[in-house]
Amino acid sequence: MLKVPGWEMSIVWYFFLGGIAGGAYFTAAIADNFGSFRDRAVARVGYLLSLPLVAVCGVLLIVDLGVPTRFMNMMLHFKFWDPMSIGAWAVGIFGAFTFVSSVLSFTASESAASLRRRISLVGMLFGFFLAGYTGVLLSNSAMPFWGDSRLMGALFLASGGSTGMAAVALIMFLSGRSMGESWHKIEVADRFSMLVELLVLAIFLGVLGSAAQPITSGHLGPLFWGGLVGAGLIVPLLLNFFGGRMRALGAVSAALVLLGGFILRYVVVMSIQG
Amino acid sequence: MARTLAMFTDTSLCIGCRACQVACKQWNELGLETPEWTGTYQNHAHFTEKTFRLVRFIEAPGAKPNGDLAWLLMSDVCKHCAQAGCLDACPTGAIYRTEHGTVNINQDVCNGCRYCVASCPFGVVSFNEQTGTAKKCTFCRIHNGLGPACAKACPTDSIQFGFRDDLVAKANKRVETLKGMGFKDAQLYGADSGGFLGGLNAFFLLLARPATYNLPEHPKLPQRNVVVDSLLSIGSAILVGVGAMLAFRQRGKGGE
Repeated sequence: MLKVPGWEMSIVWYFFLGGIAGGAYFTAAIADNFGSFRDRAVARVGYLLSLPLVAVCGVLLIVDLGVPTRFMNMMLHFKFWDPMSIGAWAVGIFGAFTFVSSVLSFTASESAASLRRRISLVGMLFGFFLAGYTGVLLSNSAMPFWGDSRLMGALFLASGGSTGMAAVALIMFLSGRSMGESWHKIEVADRFSMLVELLVLAIFLGVLGSAAQPITSGHLGPLFWGGLVGAGLIVPLLLNFFGGRMRALGAVSAALVLLGGFILRYVVVMSIQG
Repeated sequence: MARTLAMFTDTSLCIGCRACQVACKQWNELGLETPEWTGTYQNHAHFTEKTFRLVRFIEAPGAKPNGDLAWLLMSDVCKHCAQAGCLDACPTGAIYRTEHGTVNINQDVCNGCRYCVASCPFGVVSFNEQTGTAKKCTFCRIHNGLGPACAKACPTDSIQFGFRDDLVAKANKRVETLKGMGFKDAQLYGADSGGFLGGLNAFFLLLARPATYNLPEHPKLPQRNVVVDSLLSIGSAILVGVGAMLAFRQRGKGGE
């Protein structure tokens, strides 16, 4: 007797790209603050990737509204307990951080770099938020499966981390910057995110039990098990672990992680709306 | 706040005439819809963006006092919950509570994000593709003292409109009467303001368990887990963040 909201492909894309934007930014901020001088290349890729992605996110969200011209109405109101309300604000604020960080990533001056690092420590919090809140938004609805999943936000966050790092790694590979130590570091970080994601997913499924059926069985089942768990997590983890010096395998692993991240958002959003 | 206004729908008095459904359509100028086959007299299967009052026709084997099949009728409507999921979900403030305790959607403010649709535990709020906004029962005509069109049109007083406290007292008496007549499952749904969702401002007298009417037995506020879910997400963020930090620090501090 419940009614589904009719959130479809634009929301799937938003959840996917928002996760990457958040993940790429917080990875960049961590590389910038805790990494070596060379890791600034990673940071720059992360900042510069999150900026256009968050812009696309804004467009996707506005286009999906029933009355797109009224998108500003969300900015006239704030509810601290409402994921949709905080989320709308966070996309805007995070967008401003990605812009400032991107601009500052072009500077060679050390004082500007130190300002950029400090700014990114705050922006990072919005990056984490953007990656995870979309899951909390779904899990605080009246819908079956979505509303039953206490770990949806945790799962989306880990996936935002793994896809954000994979996107940065893939860009580094494709632009021929996968030679040094930084590439290895981002691979290790991505491996860790994937492990967290796999762990959270296992607990998520265990806790839900039969309530997870909308994604684990039925027409989305093969996509979930084959596309997300198999091709999107286990295979890239194995490639990441055993790829060794074969950089191309690392790149394939990153591409598979991105595919898995998209499938996760797709199966979850479509699960009860098909 | 003024005394809370409410609607009490006594399903034991409903004759399924659908005067309420028609009156609602007329007064609220809700347009035509394509009818749908539901296998019973009921039409539509559920609330739509143009059907705010809906008479449900339910065949319940063995639900009559003598064990016969009961033909249960129920005029369903937005419950105007005291703790309303749609209201909590609305990011624009378009959904608001009136001074009478009812819940309305300001059509000039709603931007059609549809979070309220996903947050209604009863599947009441509906999205209108034409206007791009969310729609539901408004408890019409209460500000000019006429009372909702559906209640006014009801020929059997199955739908009653008035002050909530008065109606609850009346409803409790009616349950006792019905029990005395042998309707052992007669019960109120949403009358208790200490019960689920803080009580419903449109509450019901049912002749069978709520599930028989496709109503949730224990509807819950969808936002009740927002703190737990957020904390678990923060836990995940710490794991991923610390992992990345260790990865980037692995060759000694500073790395230079």
